[in-house]
Amino acid sequence: MKIGYFYRLVLDSKPSRILSVVLLFVFALLILAPELIAHQSPITLNPEFALKPPSAAHWFGTDDVGRDLFSRVIHATRITLGLVAGALFISAFVGSLLGLVSGFSGGLLDQLLSRLIDVILTFPPIIAGVVITGILGPGADHLVLALSVVYLPMFFRIARSGAMAENSRTYVEAARSLGFGAPHILFKQVAPNVLPLILMQYVILFPLALQIEAALGFLGLGVAPPTPDWGAILEQGKNFILTAWWISLWPGLFLLASAFAVMVLGRALQERLGKG
Amino acid sequence: MLGQTSDPTAALALRSFFGLDQPIHTQFLVWLSNVLQGDLGKSWYQGQPVTHLIAQAFSVTVEVALLTLFIATVVGVPLGVIAGIYEGSRLDAAIQAFNLIGLSAPIFWVGLMLLVGTSAVMGWSPPFAYSSPFENLIENLEIVLLPVLSLAFLQAAAYSHFVRDCMISELRRDYIRAAVAKGLKPSQIYFKHALRNILIPLITFMGLILIQILGGTVVIESLFSLPGLGRLILSGIQGRDYPVVQGALLFVVVIAICINFTVDLMYVWIDPRMRT
Repeated sequence: MKIGYFYRLVLDSKPSRILSVVLLFVFALLILAPELIAHQSPITLNPEFALKPPSAAHWFGTDDVGRDLFSRVIHATRITLGLVAGALFISAFVGSLLGLVSGFSGGLLDQLLSRLIDVILTFPPIIAGVVITGILGPGADHLVLALSVVYLPMFFRIARSGAMAENSRTYVEAARSLGFGAPHILFKQVAPNVLPLILMQYVILFPLALQIEAALGFLGLGVAPPTPDWGAILEQGKNFILTAWWISLWPGLFLLASAFAVMVLGRALQERLGKG
Repeated sequence: MLGQTSDPTAALALRSFFGLDQPIHTQFLVWLSNVLQGDLGKSWYQGQPVTHLIAQAFSVTVEVALLTLFIATVVGVPLGVIAGIYEGSRLDAAIQAFNLIGLSAPIFWVGLMLLVGTSAVMGWSPPFAYSSPFENLIENLEIVLLPVLSLAFLQAAAYSHFVRDCMISELRRDYIRAAVAKGLKPSQIYFKHALRNILIPLITFMGLILIQILGGTVVIESLFSLPGLGRLILSGIQGRDYPVVQGALLFVVVIAICINFTVDLMYVWIDPRMRT
């Protein structure tokens, strides 16, 4: 079904969708095998080649300590996108689990969980992210924690309303009257019906989470320095913006392209699920 | 805070200064009663009352936020309306491409590229020191121009995308068909009927956008060294100046709640059907 779906996407005449599919394949390749494309080390320092503009030897130029930017940006793909994907996965897993239980059981537990989640929701996402990573200190683990907390309410709400809607359907009533326990009904019968909604939410939130991840990296609250990360490279380039613009150009373009690709995919999914 | 000299009396004095010798609930009640009396404490580093710091910073953020909202609305809404009216045309495709790029580009990267662009093409870069609009309006506008443009790019795209979707679904409604059948002029159909009916979602979205701008200022203010609320929070976190962070966060949340409340009030004002 997956293959058929992508085939249809390509056949679809919208150029943005074709571009999105191509970009997704390129990013998948960069995540799986960055060494194939970028041969130079993303970490080795070469002070004598510092701040060189793009050239045949260094396609994207070099940064202030002479590291090859092409290699850094390519290797950062896996780290940046991986962090976002992982953080959102945790968020989706925990948020949906809580949401399903909350929506299915209702009552006091539902009230309590919903109010707790509302607390997170009062903060604009970026501010919540800044506070969490700022107080815990920079580092990949704190970044993942911050991102997953920030997006937890979105998954919670989707799963909760999904579970509530399913709860009133006849098949749940039938399962109850057959004597199945609540956990069985919730996880074996209701959850699979809510799953598509959660998956779609994942794709929709991905570009947003990516922006927050990059912003936190840009504020110096992301991964620790030598690790290549798009946001972190942008933070480094900020100080040389007028003399060495190329440091900032490339990671931003990669961020834009990946957010674009996932956003178009999300919209295509939305349109298709909306119709069907 | 005392460093190496672990003098027990000094430690005791410090504990009682911060109120740490009181039980937690007393500390909280003291803080809460102070907050209700408009006293958010004093900054540990600058010695000034937090309320004063917030008021100063907020005036900067308000200017940026309102200018951004204005530009985003003036650019985004007409684009969305046009794209919605001419759905499927080349014009629509171009506007949609603008929306996608605007939504995918990280705001701080747009800011960096604007800095590079203006200095390379026009040889112009904004002044470094902030001056308030009451002291020197021209200089003030010069310094907020690029931050506002980079924020407005994203928000205009978001607005335009949203208005387009609203417009398209509104134009498919029965009353529009009736209006067409009645022989109304297209301009009357679009602006008198369709646009008026999408005002409600538009206002809701405006509230969302204002809250988003509030979050976006954290990043953009740090990039352009604007002494606004976002930078106050960020520098407070970096300097562990907790009264400032606490006060500013409380303030942001209150602002967000006020925006939502105002939006709810505006519904009733715009749509008399809700006055029940």
